[in-house]
Amino acid sequence: MSRVKELQKSLFAGTTSNARQFGMIFTLVAIVLLFQILTDGLTLNSSNLISLVSQYSYILILAIGMLMVIVAGHIDLSVGSVAAVVGIIVAKVMQEYDLAWPLAIVLGLLVGAVIGAWQGFWVAYVGVPAFIVTLAGMLLFRGMNQYIGSANTIPVPEGFREIGAGFLPEVGPDTGYNNPTLLLGLLVCVAVVIREWRARRTRREMAAEVWPMWISVIRVVVPLIVIVFATLRFAGGRVGTSFPISGIILGVLVVIYSFITRNTAGGRHIYAVGGNARAAELSGVKLKRVNFLVMLNMSVLAALAGMIFVARSAASGPQDGLNWELDAIAAVFIGGAAVSGGLGTISGSIVGGLVMAVLNNGLQLMGVGIDRVQMIKGLVLLLAVALDVYNKNRGHFSIIGSLMRPFRRAAPAATTTPIESGQEPAKTPVAG
Amino acid sequence: MRKYLARGVAAGAIALLALTACSERSGSSGGDSADSGKGFPADALIGVALPAKTSENWVLAGDLFVNGLKEAGFQSDVQYAGASSTVSDQQNQIQAMVTKGAKVIVIGATDASQLSTQVKAAKDAGAYVIAYDRLIKNTPDVDYYVAYDNFKVGQLQGQALLDGMKAKKPNGPYTIELFSGSPDDNNSAVFFDGAMSVLKPEIDKGTVVVGSGQTDIKQTAIEGWKAENAQRRMDSLLTSTYSTGKTLDGVLSPNDTLARAIITSVKGAGKPLPVVTGQDSEVESVKSIMAGEQYSTINKDTRNLVKQTIQMIKDLQQGKEPEVNDTTSYNNGVKVVPAYLLPPQIVTKANAAEAYANDPILAPLTK
Repeated sequence: MSRVKELQKSLFAGTTSNARQFGMIFTLVAIVLLFQILTDGLTLNSSNLISLVSQYSYILILAIGMLMVIVAGHIDLSVGSVAAVVGIIVAKVMQEYDLAWPLAIVLGLLVGAVIGAWQGFWVAYVGVPAFIVTLAGMLLFRGMNQYIGSANTIPVPEGFREIGAGFLPEVGPDTGYNNPTLLLGLLVCVAVVIREWRARRTRREMAAEVWPMWISVIRVVVPLIVIVFATLRFAGGRVGTSFPISGIILGVLVVIYSFITRNTAGGRHIYAVGGNARAAELSGVKLKRVNFLVMLNMSVLAALAGMIFVARSAASGPQDGLNWELDAIAAVFIGGAAVSGGLGTISGSIVGGLVMAVLNNGLQLMGVGIDRVQMIKGLVLLLAVALDVYNKNRGHFSIIGSLMRPFRRAAPAATTTPIESGQEPAKTPVAG
Repeated sequence: MRKYLARGVAAGAIALLALTACSERSGSSGGDSADSGKGFPADALIGVALPAKTSENWVLAGDLFVNGLKEAGFQSDVQYAGASSTVSDQQNQIQAMVTKGAKVIVIGATDASQLSTQVKAAKDAGAYVIAYDRLIKNTPDVDYYVAYDNFKVGQLQGQALLDGMKAKKPNGPYTIELFSGSPDDNNSAVFFDGAMSVLKPEIDKGTVVVGSGQTDIKQTAIEGWKAENAQRRMDSLLTSTYSTGKTLDGVLSPNDTLARAIITSVKGAGKPLPVVTGQDSEVESVKSIMAGEQYSTINKDTRNLVKQTIQMIKDLQQGKEPEVNDTTSYNNGVKVVPAYLLPPQIVTKANAAEAYANDPILAPLTK
């Protein structure tokens, strides 16, 4: 292994697989800076960052679930319709039966779980391809949305709107900033430091080589600068605004699901199934159960996304969720998941989703019409994946290649070894 | 690796620089400019958010806004929602206009009930919100409403339908079918109620019969104002009700796009054309009227509506209270929105030349 690789390894968290995250983040930073210049500083303006998060949190929540579905080798086209039907059910029970909104949220998640179980049953236990099951679901649940709502728009009560349009309260001394957001930022800073410290300790305990101190310092300081900057921006918006509640929900989900997919046996089974289903099954992975749970989970997250959108829109309407599946799928693929399954990461998908979000938002700020925005987004999706494929086939080093490398997959050729192997990423996985 | 490092350091440096920018809280955006009577700079940014380009009228309105606002000395940002994900596009566009510091935001809503969060953000940032053509519902944050008198439009359509059928066949009873607009558009019900205020007495008397019996607005609604949906509904009506020799005398259609879809459907089924109403004076429909197919349309000259809206913006800019002529009818669920209503005009083959005399595109068609 070359020296460069070694350094790269130690700087970006110890394995080459984590180092790949860097390219994606670099792309995102480049796009943000580009638009920051093109829009005269509006992109990183407090109110824009706040609206960016609340506008895209529900799409990113979908991307989390979609990543797991795609890693397992499936696809889910029904998420938009599932979101819409859950939205209308929740809006309707609150309007007609005066159900308290926290209970309505629980009900919404339950409906999502039931729908997910329905789709999971057909995919996992009957063996109908997920593409077909969810295509059917797309029609079924879109129709159900209109049947239940009579294609009307139904408003939701104030309390419920908090999960989509709400902000943290203004409490504590007048610091010129939103205090809960500052606390939140501090919490994240502490988490970054602790993580690094624990990583060093683990390596020491395992008698592995510990990278030099200065590398740790860089690895802590750079994220800290970004976090502090973001915190001040989010906390410094108009009085009454803060980091959006929907963004906090998203953040919590990202942490939980990243842990599950990276560090638990169940999470690694998803990769095993997507990498090579037969091999995984022979190694004792419960194929059907994994497929069932992945589909179930997707619909629950779609339900949550639908409720957040309804809350943000203050009403559930017949056009909710149209084309969401496409946004979520695009985010996952831009974020480096493999079409054949088995590879991809949660954080990659989030960054992929953010790339699309910043692109969309930046173009809107520049006053570019939605027709051209769609054309640009389409080309970006195509180019991102094409570069990935091209790069893989050539195997040469190129700058673009090194930037795009991170877009490729996590853990190669998944089989039964659930631990990240730190191999070179150039190997093609066995299609599932 | 050095490259990565250099980039990392550069990014960090930029982030640090940006950090020094001060918080917006100390800035001017305290919502103080929302008080009327103060006005705003004459070259301020005006945002215009329109629905998807599904009808010629919206495209025309967008062009008129761009030119009109430029003439008036304002900067403009005119946006259409995408054809596929209309509601969330429009939400994001309005939010972007707020971020850019627009002083007035004119909104032709895609879904009149799903914009309250964005409208509130606009209001909080000190912008005025004018609902254009479609009233924004369930929010206290909309300042003015400007539109054609839509109830009147419905009444004119209903009357035209009766007149048209009488002209063809002096004695009833007449068999008709009813169509109404998209259920998420506040105007759909207003048109329909207007038309029914004329048709209902006739239906009760028995001189007019709704062939399929579908008179509820839920049954007659056409999702998304889409031609394909109207055509589909007409196809099924023809099969279910008129395949056994019953004649269809008239169809109440809320606009031209749907009217043409209905006519296409009837032609496809090989039936004689009924009297079909319309609205919007779309080019294709005016041609159709002159050719004797569609019976009527409504002339709601978009030029006048845009002109009136820009006049309101000018008044607001100078700190004056804009003129309104209806302060009682348009309750959006939270407040009664002061409105300026323009009178619509019914157009048939008989008066088309006169009605469109000043219209550069439509006038040649009527000769």
